Amino acid sequence: MEDIELKNIWQSYDQKIEEARLLNLQSWAIHLRCFETLQFERTKSKLASLSLFKGFAVLLGIIWVLFLGLLVYGNQFSNPYFAISVSMIMLFSIVAVFAYIKNIILIKSINYDDTINETQQKLVSLQKSTFQYTRILWLQLPFHTTWCWHSKWIVFSSLKFWLIPFPITLFFLFLAIYLYKNIRMENMHKKWVRALMMSGPEYKSVLKAQECMKEIETLKKEIA
Amino acid sequence: MDSQSEKEAFLKKILFNKGIIIKICNSYCKNKADREDLAQEITYQLWKSESRFNEDYSFTTWMYRIALNVAISFYRKGKITQSTFSNLDNESEMIYIPDDTDELEEKITLLQQFISELKELDKALMILYLESKTYAEIAEIVGVTETNTATRISRIKEKLKKSFSSINK
Repeated sequence: MEDIELKNIWQSYDQKIEEARLLNLQSWAIHLRCFETLQFERTKSKLASLSLFKGFAVLLGIIWVLFLGLLVYGNQFSNPYFAISVSMIMLFSIVAVFAYIKNIILIKSINYDDTINETQQKLVSLQKSTFQYTRILWLQLPFHTTWCWHSKWIVFSSLKFWLIPFPITLFFLFLAIYLYKNIRMENMHKKWVRALMMSGPEYKSVLKAQECMKEIETLKKEIA
Repeated sequence: MDSQSEKEAFLKKILFNKGIIIKICNSYCKNKADREDLAQEITYQLWKSESRFNEDYSFTTWMYRIALNVAISFYRKGKITQSTFSNLDNESEMIYIPDDTDELEEKITLLQQFISELKELDKALMILYLESKTYAEIAEIVGVTETNTATRISRIKEKLKKSFSSINK
């Protein structure tokens, strides 16, 4: 089979599309005129709703950081464990807020009239950055168990402290390190990683985005 | 969009080139509901990107770039949403599916089938090649060099030809 024959088949396909009885122009014209409705409906689309969700999360995050700031300010001398723990949680919350702002900027920069290479790269980096920041956030886990610690527990070497709060913190410390080390794109095939990070369709989407990027990378290296 | 007439003119352009959308939908989706949903999404993204269209460039190249980008990236999420198109007019069918009545139609079906079995990026390259786009245009749409594009296309063509000849034997 020659190249021209392949193109001829494709051309006939084109003609058939034009001739197709069911493909009526009128219905297309009606569809196209309904774009105002369509636009409204599409604000609910995936990327748009993702950006909206992240925007809302940024707002909540800022309120949360301010609240934590007030707590630290009000308790900075009364209990150093509380002040340090809440400060660390606040620091992680600030990281999360910045990550969300960065993601919103990235989502807004995705244009479908960029080259396929550029668009795919942006989509993959969006997914990668979400992954990256989420794993960092797990590191705050132990600080959620230390804010209630008290100096006298350690100074007087309270048995209760070494039997209950300390092992709990230790457990969360190891858990946080384990999660940080294991939640990565390469481990996405593991069920528990997916359960923590994303739902089924999202996982498929990440996998396909990666596949597509690999294809583009291979294509870039292609030698005649 | 600034005025109603500009909007109308733009919609007419899309309408005139609707074959591009149909062929891409047919190549990327297997069932009717998915094709309609993808067609809707592509048309919406075209309409949304209209302000960024540069009159110095070819409208169809721009249309291909958006349509393929949407087909590859957006729709792969595999979630079917309620289609405005099908809500508007349930009787209409915008996708052409050939009847297997003659040899040509059989070949069209086979070609469609082979293309649909290709990887996402290869599918895009093959559609653009069959649409008689130059290697330079294809490279511009995909965002890689002309040499890479030409090499890959020649490999896909070989694969396609082999598939065709194995069926014809």
